[in-house]
Amino acid sequence: MTNLHGMTPTQRRNRRWIAMSLLPAITIFALLSAFPVFNLIGLSLFRVSWEEGKAVYDFVGLSNYKYLFTEEEIYWAGVRNTLVFSVTVVTFQMALGFTMALAVMRAGSIGRPLLTGVFLLPIVIPPIVIGTMWRLILGREFGLFNQILGVFGAGPVDWLGNPDIALGAIMFVDIWHWTPFVFLLMLAGLEGLDEEVLEAGRIDVRSFWQELRHVLVPMMLPTIVITMVFRIILSFKVFDEVYLLTSGGPGTSTEVVNFSIYRVFFAQDRVGDGSAMSLVTLVAVAGVIVLANLAIKLARRSASHMEDAS
Amino acid sequence: MSGNRAGIGRVFSNTLVWGYALLVLGPMSWVMSNAFKYQIDILTGKVFATFTWKNFDQLLFSRQSHFLDNLLNSAIVAGSSTLIVILVASMAAFSLTRLNVPGWVRWTVLGWALLFQMLPTLTFVSSWYMMFKTVGLHGTYFAVIITHVVFNLPMALFLMMTFISALPQELIQAARMDGCNYGAIFWRIVMPLVRGGLIATAALMFIFSWSDFAISLNLTSTETMTAPVAIATYAQEYEIRYGEMAAGAAMSMLPALMLILLGQKFVVRGLLAGAVK
Amino acid sequence: MFDQTNKRPKITRRAVGGLALAAVLSASAGATLAADQPTIKMAINQSPWLDSFIAMVDKYEDETGNKIELDVSPYAGLLEKVRNSVRGADGEFDLLNINSLWLSEIYSGGFLAPLGELSDGYALADSVLTYGDTVSWDAASSTFAAEGTLMGVPLNGNVQVLYYNTEIYAGLGLSEPTTWAQVQSNADAIQAAGDAYGFVTRSGRKSIVYNFTPYLFSHGGSFFEVGEDGINVTINSSEGLAALDTYVGLATKSGPPSPGAVEQGDLIQLLSTGRAGQAIAVIGAWGGLENPEKSAVVGKLNAALIPAGAGGSASSAGHWVGGIPANISPERQQAALAFLTWFQDKDVQTAYVQAGGVPVRGDLAGGALSADDSYRFIDAYSANAANAVMGLPVPQASEISSAVALQLNRAVIGEVSSAEALNAAAADIATIMEREGYTVTRGVDL
Repeated sequence: MTNLHGMTPTQRRNRRWIAMSLLPAITIFALLSAFPVFNLIGLSLFRVSWEEGKAVYDFVGLSNYKYLFTEEEIYWAGVRNTLVFSVTVVTFQMALGFTMALAVMRAGSIGRPLLTGVFLLPIVIPPIVIGTMWRLILGREFGLFNQILGVFGAGPVDWLGNPDIALGAIMFVDIWHWTPFVFLLMLAGLEGLDEEVLEAGRIDVRSFWQELRHVLVPMMLPTIVITMVFRIILSFKVFDEVYLLTSGGPGTSTEVVNFSIYRVFFAQDRVGDGSAMSLVTLVAVAGVIVLANLAIKLARRSASHMEDAS
Repeated sequence: MSGNRAGIGRVFSNTLVWGYALLVLGPMSWVMSNAFKYQIDILTGKVFATFTWKNFDQLLFSRQSHFLDNLLNSAIVAGSSTLIVILVASMAAFSLTRLNVPGWVRWTVLGWALLFQMLPTLTFVSSWYMMFKTVGLHGTYFAVIITHVVFNLPMALFLMMTFISALPQELIQAARMDGCNYGAIFWRIVMPLVRGGLIATAALMFIFSWSDFAISLNLTSTETMTAPVAIATYAQEYEIRYGEMAAGAAMSMLPALMLILLGQKFVVRGLLAGAVK
Repeated sequence: MFDQTNKRPKITRRAVGGLALAAVLSASAGATLAADQPTIKMAINQSPWLDSFIAMVDKYEDETGNKIELDVSPYAGLLEKVRNSVRGADGEFDLLNINSLWLSEIYSGGFLAPLGELSDGYALADSVLTYGDTVSWDAASSTFAAEGTLMGVPLNGNVQVLYYNTEIYAGLGLSEPTTWAQVQSNADAIQAAGDAYGFVTRSGRKSIVYNFTPYLFSHGGSFFEVGEDGINVTINSSEGLAALDTYVGLATKSGPPSPGAVEQGDLIQLLSTGRAGQAIAVIGAWGGLENPEKSAVVGKLNAALIPAGAGGSASSAGHWVGGIPANISPERQQAALAFLTWFQDKDVQTAYVQAGGVPVRGDLAGGALSADDSYRFIDAYSANAANAVMGLPVPQASEISSAVALQLNRAVIGEVSSAEALNAAAADIATIMEREGYTVTRGVDL
């Protein structure tokens, strides 16, 4: 057994494997994400204008942030809406997605691929088509929903034009669109569960509901948490639905953060302000994720306390 | 008593499931039918209207439309970027969760991935445009593919980490004691076992890459334009050409859907055959 | 022929750059005439008038042998493509199709080559419309000015006109309105009849500023005035209030229930399905409205001059201007200029209309085209085009528009009163312009 540098050939190969396995990911991140992210952070401290075909960078320190906190009322309306939006849609999507995954697990050999295929449709459609399609369906004059309502004699509802329900309509579309994301991951997670452990767990429980709470959910917890975290992040990035359905109006009732950023960064070409907005949003998203994780921990702790008490 | 509870629960979940299926199929079939209608019939919400092939004709054969090429480009880009990102993410995920990687490396990589994921992609596009233009790669497949890879990498990384860490630790310990090196463990033990999660992750990465608009819009040229950008040209200044859009959507969905269903079948068959143990 | 190549791209993941340019330039040609200009590449958006523009490009190629390749993007992406191209060291495009809303940004950035530098003493042909002097830019005062430097040639005229449904008018015995009061009374009559909305406004946040501009200017008001010593914010004047009251009245008294959600697409939809009796919309929608596959009111719509208020008649311009970037080779610049010059010719413009486009010359009214019923919009278009204004002729147009749009939208949906909305809008404009370094003066709040 050769002992060069105190390692066996296998150990050396293992060390190499660790490095090689991480190298592609790190390289790709370094090459393609480092510059854009640092550029963004840097830009938030400048105001950029263009003269004679060249960019003019004007260092303004934190004044973009100050402007953001004092003058940009549209952005803060957007933050409020996005928080409400995010919490609502993620909750619904997680609940629906999990239920659907459970149901499909128990479905027969025909039901399963059929249902899976149907459930995948909403995320396979190009997002722009989803936006325009729901615009047609929710339209006030000739939309499908109102036509169906008309059959029952109910009046036409202005799903997208009424400031009070417009956000609800967008939430509905988003839930429709993204529940399959949760469904897919929950299904994969459920299918990967260890049968033996499941069987062992089933011995102690008396009903399906208990099996759910004390066996399935705890075993699925990592998958659930990750799915939820990414759904939260993606819900903060919602853009297509808002852009195509309501453009943030009427008033600010459907304004969302990503839309504000798009408007400021692109439409108005205020890259400094837009960058500041992005970074502030980043903090908000991180905050929501931390809170969500805390909520789960607390729920589990109280569940196990009730366990001990009963 | 518990039987009743389970019964009600089952009825509830079945209703939910079939209800959602209906809610998906209803609007979908209505929209697909739009692909065969004239614009005015679509606007007035007619369910049954004059049949026409005009939308497909416009989509496929008009002067400035190269939709079949665009679909092919989408396939190339999405397929390649998915393969790459799955590979890169799985290898890194395995090492990060199961092997002795220094703590600071783990935190840096994962922290950066999460940070990158939380920032809006739209704001990076102009940086990428500039970067690729400088090295002369703008408009190439490589540019779009590698950008899709980095765009999807954080999620792929975390998802694969979740699925890999769900594997029992004993398996890997046993393999190591048998003298297997990490590479062999990865390819011969871990990968087959996480096949379900792998397929699900790959499906999602493929979908995200296939549906991407913002990156493709700015980094592709006329030759490498992908399907979503082509479909987006029908959302115009004065009107949205619903008919052509529906036709484009129909054609764009079919390949994606088929690929995923095939992948799903692969997984189900594998599990049923008892490949797990 | 001249457009994007049909050549199958190489199926390799590592295709190195230059592929695009090389492939595109090797498109097969069909011209028999000797071409004395190099092929140029143009960035343009997909739109209903693209086909008519392509017809003109074909004609250009037939007549001169020079080729133009069109890179067609979705409307939503064109600005970004234009920006990327002009901001780099080497421009990707030789001719840019620039929307009027982006002109102040592109002009002030110094990205375009002034036409006078490409050809000494270059001027537009007589009767070419300037849509509120938007073809020239005065760098000193940072605004459009007829005496400024000539920067581009209009490629598609698009101004707002008053549309009305002749069938509905005939049924109720209404006549073409010439004042705002008449518009309102017509609208009330139509609304009462119940089959259609009396008047539809584009009051969604994306559209309202553009839609409100004719009202504001025709009442003698304006958003602000650009002077030598700074900006004077004028939107919250008594004229502005009169304009907004008229606008809100038309929007809420005799229109669809949620005018604050109506954007351009919705408005045109209402017109084409016969659900709108009157509306102010862009003339560019005319083609679709006369197409039986897209419209239920073919032959039933007419275009008219926007009514006059205390300040006369006004219209807002949403046209497109062709600009030549500074960061391309001189040969390409000359080639682009050659096309732009050719495009202004009266015969070409007539052919353009016949192919379905909106002309950029004002002297086609009363000519051969007006006699043809399918071109009955020409007279109204020309009249409105002469009155077209750009409401926000400064580089900060987009930012100001967003802020003002929110306030106006709030007034329409009833969240605030007209006076409050105008005051808030004035305050927003002042904040924005002060931050940019202008000296800002304001009138007293309403």
